[in-house]
Amino acid sequence: MIEFHLDARSGVPAYLQLVQQVRQAIRLGILRDGDQLPTVKEVVAMLTINPNTVLHAYRQLDLEGLVEGRRGVGTFVAAGPPTSPPVDDLKALRSSLERWVARARAAGLDDEGIRALFAEAVRPETESRVA
Amino acid sequence: MSRVAWRLQRTETAVVAGILALLAVLLIPTGIQMANAYHSDGLNACRALNIGPSCAARIGEFQSRFQALTVLANWFTLVPGLIGVLLAAPFILDLEHGTYRLAWTQGITRRRWLAGKLGILVLTAVVASGALALLMAWWRSPQADLNGRLDTGVYDTAGIVVVGYAVFALGLALALGALWRRSAASLTVAFVGYFAMRIFVDYWLRNRLVSPLQGSWRGLRQPQFLYHAQIMSESGGSGKGGFKSGGPLGGHAQMAVPGNASHTLFHAVYQPASHFWPLQLSETALFTGIAALLIAFAAWWTHERIA
Amino acid sequence: MSDIAVRTSELGKRYRDGWALRDCTLEIPAGSVTALVGPNGAGKTTLLHLVIGLSRQTSGTVEVLGLSPRSDAKAVLPRLGFVAQDHPLYRALTIAETFTLGRRLNAQWDEGFARERAGRLGLDLDKKVGKLSGGQQAQVALTMALAKRPDVLVLDEPVASLDPLARREFLNGVLEAVVETGMTVILSSHIVSELERVCDHLITLADSRTQLAGSIREIVAGHRLLTGPRSDAASVARIHDVIRETHTERQTTLLVRANGHVYDSCWEQHEVDLEEIVLAYLGYRPGMRDTSPAREAVPS
Repeated sequence: MIEFHLDARSGVPAYLQLVQQVRQAIRLGILRDGDQLPTVKEVVAMLTINPNTVLHAYRQLDLEGLVEGRRGVGTFVAAGPPTSPPVDDLKALRSSLERWVARARAAGLDDEGIRALFAEAVRPETESRVA
Repeated sequence: MSRVAWRLQRTETAVVAGILALLAVLLIPTGIQMANAYHSDGLNACRALNIGPSCAARIGEFQSRFQALTVLANWFTLVPGLIGVLLAAPFILDLEHGTYRLAWTQGITRRRWLAGKLGILVLTAVVASGALALLMAWWRSPQADLNGRLDTGVYDTAGIVVVGYAVFALGLALALGALWRRSAASLTVAFVGYFAMRIFVDYWLRNRLVSPLQGSWRGLRQPQFLYHAQIMSESGGSGKGGFKSGGPLGGHAQMAVPGNASHTLFHAVYQPASHFWPLQLSETALFTGIAALLIAFAAWWTHERIA
Repeated sequence: MSDIAVRTSELGKRYRDGWALRDCTLEIPAGSVTALVGPNGAGKTTLLHLVIGLSRQTSGTVEVLGLSPRSDAKAVLPRLGFVAQDHPLYRALTIAETFTLGRRLNAQWDEGFARERAGRLGLDLDKKVGKLSGGQQAQVALTMALAKRPDVLVLDEPVASLDPLARREFLNGVLEAVVETGMTVILSSHIVSELERVCDHLITLADSRTQLAGSIREIVAGHRLLTGPRSDAASVARIHDVIRETHTERQTTLLVRANGHVYDSCWEQHEVDLEEIVLAYLGYRPGMRDTSPAREAVPS
């Protein structure tokens, strides 16, 4: 059974934290296909958060195809076994990333600057999922 | 609703009951004692005839025997004021402590709450003061026989006015409590106000409610209920001479009269026995009427102005 | 309308020494958990007392579930649950007697729920209320309100005097009831920090007037923090509402409510968290600057 936690200071919206925790749990095998997610009531009791936040998170996970809500019963994990991209793709991605980092360093960016640029580039990705 | 109201004022009701119980413990044994003394000594019979000197002596002896108690009991006229004021306490505390915010947001309207609460308070005041009056009337009956019911101490502790006094004190405390929302201040001022009102009525207003009579007569009559009396000799001179005048209602004539009493001329302003009920009823109506206004004000103010 | 639980229009209340609330116009959706935030003396209690029918308004109207809480009190009161500031209770009564009070004064009263909840919280029913701790008294007061099975629950600074654990337990109780019954909750607070977690709607009140009223998600999405080199806010202010502007020697920071997207590339944009937004509004006074007009509800 998954146990949620909230980091109020992380800047990440509460519902998103729940989504991320479920994704991570599935990835790590803590949650398996067919497992029931805690009910809204249970999550509210666990975290003292607004029920809509939980509903929002579960809806989001449903949209992503990771879970499936069954009326009157609960919300269940429906993802297939965790898939990783093919090994070759990973290798190609890794080397192009290393080249990019080298270019950034050559341009004068320090580690901090590189991370900031990266965060900026990644953010629109998460935001578009909200809509 | 009424059961709730009872529950919430149970402390105050218990205190009032306690006061009555305390008085009962004091009065019942002594009352029995007095009644026995009165009847066994044949004072009853003796009084029915014209007062002869031996009878007067026995009456005097009886009265001095119970003097202390009688004087103490005169102060019991403050008890209805105490009862009325105490009963207002839970109502005022409700406002002072803010628990009205709980009571008025349940399922009944403020109006119904007030009606129930105030109704119970008035009922309790009437019953308690009525019981007190009956107890005092029984206790006082020998005294009343001897000195008449208009005697101070009988009139205002053993008559229906007692109920009027109690509801007046209650109304005054409720009105002040609604305005100030502070129990200690409201109850204290209300009691003082009761005292002041009583003095005002006793010494000034009462004789304007029902006018006393004036008269002159010869010889020492059956004790009248004298407001003011003068002894005049036949030749027209006057003097006060050993006349004991009681409180605002007057007292009984207990005289040491110079010379032969049967030739002495008395001139008096007095309330006769027949005025007892008119006085009681008009005074009760006065106090009850004012009480009704005060309670209505308290209800209105609480309903409209408290948020 | 069935999906608005509370609606006010130009609501105002005046006492002898001035207006406690003015021009209050807002809508609280049914099923929401709404925070009413403002500094002490801003008018929160006044507003809540008007909603619950304890007070009568001086101007404007207030409607709860389509009815007037004051004139239709008999119909509205059974559907409202209320815990006043400092959770008033009759101290001389035991918890069981307090529940009896609730049972006698309410047509709809779930005694079983009340007792079960008290048991779950470890409360001794025969203990006098005056002997309970602050947190326990707050829970008894909440139980009283919940046992009525209300449609709308109104809480006036319910956790102000509670320690963190008691606070958490209290809010948990409220949210649990929301999950079970879908009731609307309005709770006032002068502390902002925990609200984002618990509430989904927000109303701010300052100087007896409302400034923000709307869903928290939209409020947060609709505000931006703009930073840039020291300059004038005028160009931004032409399109967006500048709520707060601060300057250092070299830098200007603006907190704006965006009317549409912020295109101006001179400014670096950041998201703002709810607490920051609320604090900016609470410090904000109309007429402080000659720019934006008075704030109204964020379109919801």
